Amino acid sequence: MIETIIHVLVLTGLIVSAVLVYHFKDLLAAAVASGLFSFLISLEFYILQAPDVAISQAAIGAGLTTAIFILAIRSTKRYEEDAP
Amino acid sequence: MRMSKIVRFAADVLFGAIVIFGLYVIMHGHLTPGGGFQGGAIVATGAALVIVAHSYEEVIGMIKKAVLMAQESAGLVMFAGVALIAIGLGTTFFFNFLANSGSLFGMTVPFGPNPGELNTGGVLPLMNIAVGIEVWGGLAIVILYMLSGIGKKEEA
Amino acid sequence: MRKELSILIIIIFGLFLGLIALDLTFGDPDNTAMDDYFIQNGQEQAATNNIVTTIVFDYRGFDTLGESTVLFTAVIGVALMYRKLVKGDADENE
Repeated sequence: MIETIIHVLVLTGLIVSAVLVYHFKDLLAAAVASGLFSFLISLEFYILQAPDVAISQAAIGAGLTTAIFILAIRSTKRYEEDAP
Repeated sequence: MRMSKIVRFAADVLFGAIVIFGLYVIMHGHLTPGGGFQGGAIVATGAALVIVAHSYEEVIGMIKKAVLMAQESAGLVMFAGVALIAIGLGTTFFFNFLANSGSLFGMTVPFGPNPGELNTGGVLPLMNIAVGIEVWGGLAIVILYMLSGIGKKEEA
Repeated sequence: MRKELSILIIIIFGLFLGLIALDLTFGDPDNTAMDDYFIQNGQEQAATNNIVTTIVFDYRGFDTLGESTVLFTAVIGVALMYRKLVKGDADENE
């Protein structure tokens, strides 16, 4: 029972963070929300008893990808413009 | 451009802890979940934290590109070399010639669940270390090159 | 018109994936003969407690060699691309 509740909470958080990535106009906040998505998916891997994949996902997805996004935002603009 | 003093100080403090944890994951790859790729990615995440927090000139003073490139090449050469030594000993490619031999990493393991011993595994710890060094250098140098690509633009 | 079409495509694709997911079973896969072989002989042959590491680095070592080569090649590609971009950098000594 408790396992089902944790599954539902993590999956709901996944959907919410994915919608937040689409919703934010501040690109730095969107990058952080993308990192939150990767972290939650690594938590889901851990609950499904795949700790190796969970460590890889936490390091690559939540760490390095967010760092690359932040570097790209530093060299361009921080806020998204409206489509012409 | 560089981040605020709080971010830079926190990155400097956390870097040591992240490197130690990544080296622990690499060294215990044959006992606990994780291994060379995962541990190397964790260490590279620590390097990425420092790279993102500091400006281009500070990072160039701290991390050398040549060292990371040499690390990556040395990791791949060591990985293939350990596999080639097995051919030199008259067995097949990737044969685990150190397992159960009694020498380095050569203790035997009883069947079934047991707490484990660090001095086991044959060539597997050596290959974990090789892949860990390679992934560490490779992933860190990708981010460092991206920073150097934008470093010139920020000054203008 | 375009919006309705995209919504229709999303619904059809979602139904397609949902129908596939109905047939899957999670959490209780059957053991094949190869799984039994790894579990029975892995600890003895490779002297390691972690069966995942045994498979990745010993039984399937060629895969890991290929993976390392792919990573090395990708990094070399990135290095070549950015070296041309940052020409005249004093740190580029090789």
